[in-house]
Amino acid sequence: MTRFAIYVSIIAAAAVLAVGLGIQGHILPAVGVSLLGAAWAFAFRRNMLWVATPAFALFTIISASSIWAGVSPWLSMIGLISSLIVWDLTNFLQRLQAANESPLQIERTHFQQLGLVSGLSLLGVYTATRIRISLTFGGAAILAMLGIWGISALVYRLRRHEDEIDV
Amino acid sequence: MSRIALLAALIYILIIAGIGTLNGSVLTLALPLVIYLLAGLWRGPEKLELSAERTISSERIAPGEIITVSLTVTNHGETLNQVTFHDPLPDFLEIIEGSNNRIAKLPAHGSLSWSYSLRGRRGFHTFSGLYLQAEDNFGLVIKRKFLPTSGQVLVLPSVARVRRIVIQPRQTRVYSGVIPAHQGGTGIEFFGLRSYQMGDSPHHINWRASARGNSLYTNEYEQERVADVGIVLDGRSRINDFGDRSSIFDDSVLAAVAVSSALLAEGNRVGLLIYGDRARWTSPGFGKRQRERIMQNLALSKTGESQNFKSLFIPRRMFPTNSQIILISPLHEDDLPLLAQLRRSGYPLMVISPDPVTFEARRLGNSGSVQMAARIARLEREIMLRKLRGLGIQVVNWNTAMPFDQVARAALSRPVTFLRAMRSERGGRS
Repeated sequence: MTRFAIYVSIIAAAAVLAVGLGIQGHILPAVGVSLLGAAWAFAFRRNMLWVATPAFALFTIISASSIWAGVSPWLSMIGLISSLIVWDLTNFLQRLQAANESPLQIERTHFQQLGLVSGLSLLGVYTATRIRISLTFGGAAILAMLGIWGISALVYRLRRHEDEIDV
Repeated sequence: MSRIALLAALIYILIIAGIGTLNGSVLTLALPLVIYLLAGLWRGPEKLELSAERTISSERIAPGEIITVSLTVTNHGETLNQVTFHDPLPDFLEIIEGSNNRIAKLPAHGSLSWSYSLRGRRGFHTFSGLYLQAEDNFGLVIKRKFLPTSGQVLVLPSVARVRRIVIQPRQTRVYSGVIPAHQGGTGIEFFGLRSYQMGDSPHHINWRASARGNSLYTNEYEQERVADVGIVLDGRSRINDFGDRSSIFDDSVLAAVAVSSALLAEGNRVGLLIYGDRARWTSPGFGKRQRERIMQNLALSKTGESQNFKSLFIPRRMFPTNSQIILISPLHEDDLPLLAQLRRSGYPLMVISPDPVTFEARRLGNSGSVQMAARIARLEREIMLRKLRGLGIQVVNWNTAMPFDQVARAALSRPVTFLRAMRSERGGRS
């Protein structure tokens, strides 16, 4: 199930961004994104799971860039969420492979959680497109600083216990 | 780069790009990543309070025998969404059914049980514990813990049944056994004649000899006693191990098991010295208990390299004077002087040498160059073995493709003098 979901998500990420760019007349970048998607799927097929990390970073940057290229924010968002799903599921698959099994219950819970995150993200985007706030550059800069501080605090908290071996 | 660091970097890039260009849509793209991070934090494991218990169906097995390892892990703390367990196993154990790894969700105060079956080659393993890795569903927050458990498994070496190994030590012990003691007395084999003494059995009077003389003569038989035997197993890597992790050492161990079992069964006092990376000494002893001690030490033996054992190592002080020494080694040209010295000191010496040339040639294939190299190496080895035989050392060159019991039956089940006589007779006939 996980492998199938990964293939579907890779196709979705590449197709959505390629279609968005194609609609805007950027044919060459659209072909490039399609080829990247194909390469990602090929690498996954060859069990080169490490490819997921650079591919996810690349697709995130492509999603952001496509907004400046005039692609609909919805398409960019779907592209980004799809690549996030691929990146997450690849890591999940690695853990399952290490354990030599794939219990259905764990797979189901994982998909539910992933669905929840995707749903909340889309809801967030929907809300963001509805709310219009005018900010000065100063206000935006302060908000950015606050955001970065918040993310840093969150990351610090997450990483504090990471790789801590309790013997 | 950790997953959290990558996510954080991408979020920073999107926030800075969004604010920098005053583009809300770019800023919005950071939202899924932030939600993903928050979900990781929300579902991440806190304190790990677990205990593990292990049961093993048998702690002492023969090679190829299957045992079942059962594990039960109990969670004394909060629910753990995703826990991966790993029970480390050494190379010599092979899983037949089930898995030594497990991924599961562990509810608060719940427990998880699973089992797997394994079999193995010769060796010993202590199951010190279980590694666990608890994660949130997205694998962002990871906590690791080691759960100690008890348990061990000893896989004994393979046994080749050899009925009899004939040795001829210079000196025997006082207890009766099967080794000719070069002394007249009670026994089976004729030893000599002596004058009749009061109390001698009339059945033992040699009437023919008595008729020729004026007095009565009695037959004397050769006494049969037990002897001291020291077995030396050579575990030096440089002569036992070959490329692609193959080793002739397991064959040497098999020979050591067969020889020690046969000699102990005949009532002899047997000691064993194994050396490789370090020396492992089983002091001489008799009977089944001694056999068990030797089997355990052979199960633990490994090849290794040490500066102390660069050359052949037979410490004389460990073996009583004139006791029979049996060396089990693939042998090297450099070992000859020490063996000669040992022989000169009066130790009856027997060398059982698993043939490394045939062993390696078999693995390397049948190409012309391999055949030529094997031929040269075989000639060199034959010269070395002839030198040893010339020193009065009994040498058994064992082609490991043949079962050891077959080789032992042909070369060790009768006295050397008998075998030599048989060979010369065959030569004469031809």
